[in-house]
Amino acid sequence: MTTKLFFSIVLLCIGTFLQEFFLSHLALFQVSPDIMTIFIVFIAITVDQKSSTSFGFAAGILTGIFSGNMGLNMLARTIEGFIAGYFHIPEESHATARQKTRKFYVAILAAGFFGHAVIAAGYNPLGLTPAYRIFILGFLESLFTLMLAVILNWLFLRKSFAD
Amino acid sequence: MPKFFTLFFKYNNYLLFVVYCSISLLFIKLQNDDTLENLRTGSIEFSAAVNEKLTNIMYLFNLDKENERLMRVNTDLLTRVLNLETTAADERNRSKILTDSTFNASGFIMARVVDRKFSDRENMLLINAGWKNGIKKDMTVLVPEGLVGRIIAVSEHYAKIMPVINTDFKVSVVSDSSNTMGILSWNGGQESIAQIEHVPISSPLKLNEHMVTSDFSTFSTRGIPVGRVVRITPDKLFYTIDLRLAVDFSSLTQVLIAPLKIEPEKAAIANESTLLEQLP
Repeated sequence: MTTKLFFSIVLLCIGTFLQEFFLSHLALFQVSPDIMTIFIVFIAITVDQKSSTSFGFAAGILTGIFSGNMGLNMLARTIEGFIAGYFHIPEESHATARQKTRKFYVAILAAGFFGHAVIAAGYNPLGLTPAYRIFILGFLESLFTLMLAVILNWLFLRKSFAD
Repeated sequence: MPKFFTLFFKYNNYLLFVVYCSISLLFIKLQNDDTLENLRTGSIEFSAAVNEKLTNIMYLFNLDKENERLMRVNTDLLTRVLNLETTAADERNRSKILTDSTFNASGFIMARVVDRKFSDRENMLLINAGWKNGIKKDMTVLVPEGLVGRIIAVSEHYAKIMPVINTDFKVSVVSDSSNTMGILSWNGGQESIAQIEHVPISSPLKLNEHMVTSDFSTFSTRGIPVGRVVRITPDKLFYTIDLRLAVDFSSLTQVLIAPLKIEPEKAAIANESTLLEQLP
């Protein structure tokens, strides 16, 4: 349990680093894929809602330090973790790998969209209209994050969603 | 009390969420607090430092591409500079000819030397004007300084010049002061020195006399400067005369082509002896 927790914290730090120094440079139409959402959803799917909410909160602190909007990031990530918790797959579940993967992707879309909506509602550096930044950019960011999740799933996470 | 704990454990997900949200909202409210401000400043500095290091690393990886790009830019700039310099030099030479007050260039065709073949025996020049520009075979080529040569072949856009410094070139010359006549030729070797043949030993030719083309020439108009006498060596019957040519062939870039000398009557009388008898 402690090893798993330690491993998750290390992953959280690596994810923050990647997000801040690499993925944020891949912005297209003002949005970039969010590896932190993938991480939070992965925790929610494989562990439980409480953990995902807590990790979301922690991820919010870390990304908030770099972005300068600590409170808003904490709130958005906490909501992401909490929403993703509803997609948790219990260990005793008989779901197939395909079903688990699909749930993982839907959770990313849902959590990503709401997380982005919270940040977009509280912070508007580009002076865009609320509808545009919440719905259009929110949808785009969730889509980019989903694409990154598909790649990561294909490369690393397939084992975790095995039957 | 047990009921409270049962409720707490049952809904602890929500409670945790509420607690985290409350803390987050508190942070939003204290956004401009000094401690948070310092934390933010520190994180920006850290972030900038890491970004700088990463940029440096990426720059090292992209050095090949950067070098290639700079090479392309250099090539492009060099081409532009060369083009500009060439155009400027052409323009300078052109205006030098046109502004020469001692020489009237109207009626002459101006052309640029585009190729030259220099060796110790054969020298040929190629100009960028051909029959489309009105160039014809046997036209005289000159510059304000003096005679350059004659046109020996013409294509649509180019013409070949046999310069004075060609062993096959011959032109009749005359001294502008003593009226001594001779045939100018070039025997190879030094490109600035030509020779004058058939000058009798009795002629009053002196050193530094200027030679110009004479009326005897079949292609050249008279009076075009050719050079200056620099050495006179007496032989049995004729002088061997060295002439320093007026034109510097090593720096020849622009030339003028004089209109063709048309003297059909002169040619006819020179070749047809019966013509004289027919005239009154």
